[in-house]
Amino acid sequence: MAATLCVKLLPKQGWLPLTQSVRHGSKAVTRHRRPMHILKQKLMAVTKYIPPTRVIPPGAYPSKTKHVQEDNPLMLVLKRNLNNVFQDSKMIAVVQNSASNAEDMMILKHRLNKHGITVKFFPNQVVRSFLKDSVYSNMAPLFIGPTVMFVSKEPKAKEMLSTLRASPQMTLLGACIDNTLLTAQGVVSYSKLPSVAVVQGELVSGLTMLTSHTASMLQRHPAHLSALLQQYVKQQSSEDSTQGAPKAAEAT
Amino acid sequence: MAASSKATVVLKAVKKIAVQFCPFESNVRSTREFLAMVGSEKARATNMNCEVISTVKHDKSEPVVDITYLDGEKLLLKGAKLTSSEMLSAFQSLCTAKDPQAKVAAKK
Repeated sequence: MAATLCVKLLPKQGWLPLTQSVRHGSKAVTRHRRPMHILKQKLMAVTKYIPPTRVIPPGAYPSKTKHVQEDNPLMLVLKRNLNNVFQDSKMIAVVQNSASNAEDMMILKHRLNKHGITVKFFPNQVVRSFLKDSVYSNMAPLFIGPTVMFVSKEPKAKEMLSTLRASPQMTLLGACIDNTLLTAQGVVSYSKLPSVAVVQGELVSGLTMLTSHTASMLQRHPAHLSALLQQYVKQQSSEDSTQGAPKAAEAT
Repeated sequence: MAASSKATVVLKAVKKIAVQFCPFESNVRSTREFLAMVGSEKARATNMNCEVISTVKHDKSEPVVDITYLDGEKLLLKGAKLTSSEMLSAFQSLCTAKDPQAKVAAKK
C-alpha cells in the first residue's frame, strides 16, 4: 500500500530525501568533565569512599627538629640596643596605644623629654625573644599588640602618670622600676610614696623619739624631775596594789 | 573575613565602650586587639562623642568589654575565649542593626 501510494511521491528508485534530520544526543565520553545529572551527583556524594584512618605507630615518622630561627643581624642589633636600655634605665614602663596620630605622639614625646623620659619602639618579637633569655621574663606577656616603651633613668612615676592622663588612648600596662615588676596600680601607689629622704627622716625620727623624750626630760629642772619621779613611784605602787587586789579576788 | 573586611568600625550608634583586662593574664590577646581596632583614630573619627575607656586591673579577672548604645542597650563581650574577629563581627552586626537607616542610605 505504501508503495502504491508513494508512487507519485517517490518517482525514482532509491531516492534520498532532500532534508535529513540528523538526531544525535550528546556523547558519553568527552574530553572535558561532563556535568553530571543532579541525581547522579547526589548518589556519588552519598556513596563516596571514606578510607579508614590509619593509626600511625608513634615512632614511625620522627617529628622534624624545630628549626630555631637564627637571629638575623637586624635583630641582633636591636637586641643589643634593648640590652643597653635595660641596663641603663631604672624605670621601664609599657604602655599600649590603640590610636595616636603623629601629632599626639610628638606632643607626648616633648612632654616626657622634659622630665628625661625617652619613648622607645621595639618590635614585639625581638622584645619577647630578648626577655625570655634575660631576668625579666615575667614581663613577656605585656608585649602584645601595639606597645610603646617609656624608658628613663630616674623613676619619675608621677610626671609620667600625669602626662599619660592627658592622652586618653594610652593605657599603662605595667612597669619595671628598680628591677621590680609593678602593675598599673603599683605604679600609682609608687608615685604616691614620699621621696627617699622624707622616708628616711621619718624612720630616724620614729626611732629616736623615745630617747629624745628622755633627753628632754633630763634637761629640765631637777626639782621638776624629782617631783615627776615621786609621782611616778606613787602611781606604780597604787597600780601594784590595785593589781594585787583584783588578782586576790580572782584567786578566791 | 567577610565580617571585618571593612577596616574601620563604625561607632555611630555607640555611646560608650569600657574595656577592662589584666595584662599579665594569657587570655587577653583578643581583648587587646579589639581595643586597638576600636580605639583607632578612624573608628573614633566616625563618632567623636563616643568614649573609649580602658581599665587595667590585676585581679586575675576575665577580660570584659562593656558597650553602651545610644538607646540604652548594653552589650557585654567576655573576651577570655573569643577571638578578636569574632568580637568585632558580633559588635558590628549589632551596630548595623541599631543604625540601619544611616547605613542603608550611605550604602545606596
